Amino acid sequence: MLQAKEMVTFTIDGRTIEAPDDSNLLEIARRNGIAIPGLCYHRKLTPTGACRLCLVKIEGMRGLITSCTVKVAEGMKVTAFDRELEATRKLLLDYLLYEHNDAYDGTYPDELRELVQRYGLDSPENRYFKPVWEKLKFEKDDSSPVLTYDPSKCIKCFRCIKACDEVQGKNVLSFTDRGINSFIIAGTGIWGGSECDGCGECIQLCPTGAIVEKPNRDVINLEKIGSGVVTTCPYCGVGCQIELLVQDGRIVRSNGVEGVSPNDGRLCVKGRFGYEFVHSPDRLTRPLIKRNGSFKEATWDEALGLIAERFTDIRNRYGSDALAGYASAKCSNEDNYLFQKFIRTAFGTNNIDYCTRLCHASTVTAILKAIGDGAGSNPVEDFETTDCLFVIGNNIIDTHPITATYVKRGAVKGQKIIVVDPKWTPLVRYATVWLQPKLGTDIALLNGLVHIIIKNGWTDRKFIEERVEGGLEAFKELEELTARYTPGYVTEITGVPAASLSLAAMLYATSPTAMIATGMGMSQQVTGTHNVFCLINMMLITGQVGRERCGINPPRGQNNVQGATDVGCSPLNYPGYMPVKNDDNRRRVAEVWGVPYESLSPEPGLTTVEIMQAGYDGRIKGIYIMGENPMISDPNLNHTEEALKRMEFVVVQDIFLTETTSFADVVLPASSWAEKEGTFVNSDRRVLRGRKAVECPGEARVDWKIIHELAGRMGWPMPEYRNEDEIFDELARVTPIMAGISYDRLEQGSIQWPCPGRDHPGTPTLYLDGFNTPTGRGRLFPVEYVPQNEQTDGDYPLMLNSGRLLYHYHTATMSRRTKVLRDFVDESFVQIHPGDAGRYDLEDGARVRIESRRGELETTVRISEEVLEGEMFMPWHFTESQVNRLTRDELDPYSRIAPFKLSAVRIIKI
Amino acid sequence: MIREKRIILRNSGVIDPGSIAEYINAGGYKGLSMALAGTPGKVVEEVVASGLRGRGGAGFPTGTKKQAAAGKDAGTIRYVVCNADEGEPGTFKDKAIMETNPHLLIEGMIIAAYGIDSERGYIYIRGEYYDSINRLQNAISQAYDRGYLGTDILGSGFSFDLEIKPGAGSYLCGEELTMLESLEGKRGYPRIKPPFPAEKGLWGKPTLVNNVETLANLPGIIEHGSAWFRSSGTESTPGTKIFSVCGDVRNPGCYEVDAGVILDDLINDLAGGTRNGKPWKAVLLGGAAGTFVPYSCNDLSLCYERLKERCATLGSGAVIVVGSGRKLIPLMQSILRFFRHESCGKCVPCRIGTTYIHERSLEMPGAGHDPRISILEEMVNHARQMATSSLCPLGQSPILPLETLQRHFSESIATE
Repeated sequence: MLQAKEMVTFTIDGRTIEAPDDSNLLEIARRNGIAIPGLCYHRKLTPTGACRLCLVKIEGMRGLITSCTVKVAEGMKVTAFDRELEATRKLLLDYLLYEHNDAYDGTYPDELRELVQRYGLDSPENRYFKPVWEKLKFEKDDSSPVLTYDPSKCIKCFRCIKACDEVQGKNVLSFTDRGINSFIIAGTGIWGGSECDGCGECIQLCPTGAIVEKPNRDVINLEKIGSGVVTTCPYCGVGCQIELLVQDGRIVRSNGVEGVSPNDGRLCVKGRFGYEFVHSPDRLTRPLIKRNGSFKEATWDEALGLIAERFTDIRNRYGSDALAGYASAKCSNEDNYLFQKFIRTAFGTNNIDYCTRLCHASTVTAILKAIGDGAGSNPVEDFETTDCLFVIGNNIIDTHPITATYVKRGAVKGQKIIVVDPKWTPLVRYATVWLQPKLGTDIALLNGLVHIIIKNGWTDRKFIEERVEGGLEAFKELEELTARYTPGYVTEITGVPAASLSLAAMLYATSPTAMIATGMGMSQQVTGTHNVFCLINMMLITGQVGRERCGINPPRGQNNVQGATDVGCSPLNYPGYMPVKNDDNRRRVAEVWGVPYESLSPEPGLTTVEIMQAGYDGRIKGIYIMGENPMISDPNLNHTEEALKRMEFVVVQDIFLTETTSFADVVLPASSWAEKEGTFVNSDRRVLRGRKAVECPGEARVDWKIIHELAGRMGWPMPEYRNEDEIFDELARVTPIMAGISYDRLEQGSIQWPCPGRDHPGTPTLYLDGFNTPTGRGRLFPVEYVPQNEQTDGDYPLMLNSGRLLYHYHTATMSRRTKVLRDFVDESFVQIHPGDAGRYDLEDGARVRIESRRGELETTVRISEEVLEGEMFMPWHFTESQVNRLTRDELDPYSRIAPFKLSAVRIIKI
Repeated sequence: MIREKRIILRNSGVIDPGSIAEYINAGGYKGLSMALAGTPGKVVEEVVASGLRGRGGAGFPTGTKKQAAAGKDAGTIRYVVCNADEGEPGTFKDKAIMETNPHLLIEGMIIAAYGIDSERGYIYIRGEYYDSINRLQNAISQAYDRGYLGTDILGSGFSFDLEIKPGAGSYLCGEELTMLESLEGKRGYPRIKPPFPAEKGLWGKPTLVNNVETLANLPGIIEHGSAWFRSSGTESTPGTKIFSVCGDVRNPGCYEVDAGVILDDLINDLAGGTRNGKPWKAVLLGGAAGTFVPYSCNDLSLCYERLKERCATLGSGAVIVVGSGRKLIPLMQSILRFFRHESCGKCVPCRIGTTYIHERSLEMPGAGHDPRISILEEMVNHARQMATSSLCPLGQSPILPLETLQRHFSESIATE
């Protein structure tokens, strides 16, 4: 815990003020309503002292002092306002107007303009100086897809530079030239040619509109916009809080919300600019029914009537288990909660799953078994403050950009970062050591690290004795199993040099605190669960868990992928991870839902890929898909396509026509996240509010209302919920980990589960007192390395890895409908090592066909040393090059996840 | 008739600056041996006792700086940085030391480092000083070869590494905190003071920053003692001072004399008097960031206390002589253009103020009925505002030449 700060008492203009002793004087003055002006200071940045407007007098100090660079002290006597200070400030503002183009178009908040008005300098005749900015002949930089920089409006306050550097850790911006001629450049020149990734932190912190957003530039009129709608970002699982500005019923801007977790105002390019899809002309606005092979618009009554009839018919003819549902990681807890309730009651089956099965199912399976909670153990802030971060199979900068800002800030302060990834990721730049194992050799690598840790005595024996099941006996088993994973042996398998292995093991094991961030690279393998067991073994024997800033975290890829499982969209568990096989759980759920206990199936259902496999085999006849696009996201798409074709009745509820809707019998127009109230759960178990900003287009409906009506039509009516908060209240009654959470409480801020009671504050860090296993102790699972059964051969000589990009999201239905994201990247590509490119005579930009044992696609070559020789990498977002035509649906036996990361392929120049 | 008193420059032009052997033969590195034979505390004590004041321009007591940088907590990394970014217009005395006697500086740095228990030092040197860089680099290599630098210096157990970092042409990087930014590889912007370098300097560690000439005084102080040092110069400015005299004099150059020398003696006896033989019109003391004095000040004693009494500065030791026929407005414009050009742009008053007063100064000659004096007054007012509100010494500098021009030369300017 941080030590409580000493309070000091001091005065400003005779007023007595109390504050913690290391507080910034300007910040404290402003919090106490003393409006000392200032433009270069921002709460999130180190003080700059550039604008000089916050000058004050402090007794005992010579001259005028910038209050932004002073810390308050006991007995300090500050003069914030007197004639001399105000005259100096007015002169400084007048100075600024000498170089500043003060034209204002009403599209951004202008802090300088406010001060100019306050000091009576708004009309030019009151100004001392004639403007000189036109003579300076600055040129606008319009080259970025997201912003425009106008140096004539720039007051050189450094806020953008520090926003980029200190807040986002990107360090792209700086000044060029000197003095009055200086202006901002990105990289070594214009924004468009720089490494700027478009996060827009600089826009958010610019006080004068020198950096402004491009989207909606001609549309916005701030006077027409009231206060924004605070909600949760619809993209990855960080759960950033955003404020949507709405004008004439359309979202026109998204700002980061300052001062709240998890993002404190920070956003990435998707969070700030990715809202355009909401108003896409492609939005579905009326239900569609397929007649004679093509979709015809229908009324809701027709569509829902048909669905209820067909699903009921299938249930009657083939039984409940011939039906299945895909929930959505993009829908709210309320939507998903009612969806799983619908599947369990109206369908009467546990065949409910969603894309989490394809992402962190193995992680969740392993951590549930070994330590007990199916989520990350730490608050996002710990990514900055932990002493050592072990990032494995996780391109955190591109896929969890705001979590990554914490990491980068930690790196600046000396955090040790270990990156384990077969492919280069941008985090490597910040890393202390990068281990680059060959694809699919993680278990050997991790057993090797455990071997080194044991050999060097870097284990925590006390922790093992007290908190590990079986204590030193269990440890001995692990020791024996890993004995043969000597550095030499591991290097042979993984290709990682022994010195790097030793360094990584030493850093992780001996740092005062250490955290693990694990990603898709670990989970999306046939050995996914075993991979994570190995990580947990390493964590348990070193005692790097059970304390703050220690633990294991799977940063989640979608904004409610955590919540959907939390609220029961799982074939194994009811809401709150209560196994369906347990009768007490069945009783408890049946009671709250007011349904007969017998009507709930005691049999665990099928998982995502198993549902498709069962469809292929004819065991699943009907499926209800809410906000999912398995025809891009599922493995072995040729097989998935056939499965959907073979099903008797397919319903897809979505906001767009997708690759999957082609196979639907009925398509229902649903709501985007901006069109409904609800809650989401982010990667650090934070329950966050989503709020309605705009109306659904056309006849589109809020998802839970569709489910609700369908349930009634199928004879399984649900209570008449007046609002989403009533759904949440029911969910809280069923879900022990959220029992203490309500909309009222969420108005005060987010809460991290478990939160078992109304008075419980929530739980930032898991496992402080014990593990959530039956014995309260963690469990070691020693596992052997087994070579992958997907191997390259003469026909398929290359190994293909797949993954994501910063600019696109999942199956790209949202992100590719946003212009600025397309402006950054809008094309599929495959990264191939220069050695392989030479071998196959491929030049950069060549069109190629890639074939696996299961399918093929066409794409464009990018020659890159980011991948190892013999390995290739492709982003999977693009429908025109569907990577999952190549992947396997062979599953991890424990978690049923598919091995997206490893497909033997060949490459052919077209 | 006064004469030079060469202590720092005593070997300049006498020994080969490329030869460490010649330096040692001339008594070099003796101060270091003596320092290493005693305790670090003894070094600091001796420097404090000597009353040596920084020769870079501000005149801060060197011993006090050393005490601060030596600090309390042992074991902390500390740095010694030599400020050799000699950029003040009219100043070229450090160049003379580095090019004629580089080992003296190196010896001074090692002594300074020993005094504060620093294991690493940097010489931040003006990038255009090619000869200085080459000669220093050569001297550093020789010092390593002879065991004056590196680990376990002369078997004392004390280790010190020294490296040269050339600047890239910014005047402001001669300001100590800006120099540390630059040394860290960042753009040369001034830091907020406090903390001072002695507390948080290079990479946040306690750092002793001294000028070349200051450090070059240390070997002598250690070898001969503080009392010997105090036998030169004046009570408050002990020791010798190197003046770089230029402008309208017959023999411009560096002259090392007792601090407190009379201005006219320096100009006439050492620099050969004015070119046209007539009494000079003005002297700019201390460079662009210095003060103008009129001929009526020809009896000025060039030491900190006397100059302060007469509202003038010693600065870096630049003495720029303006002959009787010269106009002052072009010189003033040139100084203001210099500040405008060198202003980093970080803080508002300096960035805009330097531009504005320069622009105003360009309006001075030939502007109808004589507005020159009112323009000068306006510029002085602005410069004063800049001085109270600027972040670093650059913005606080234009007031010095402008105010003294106004005080002593208003009439002359009105008739130009």
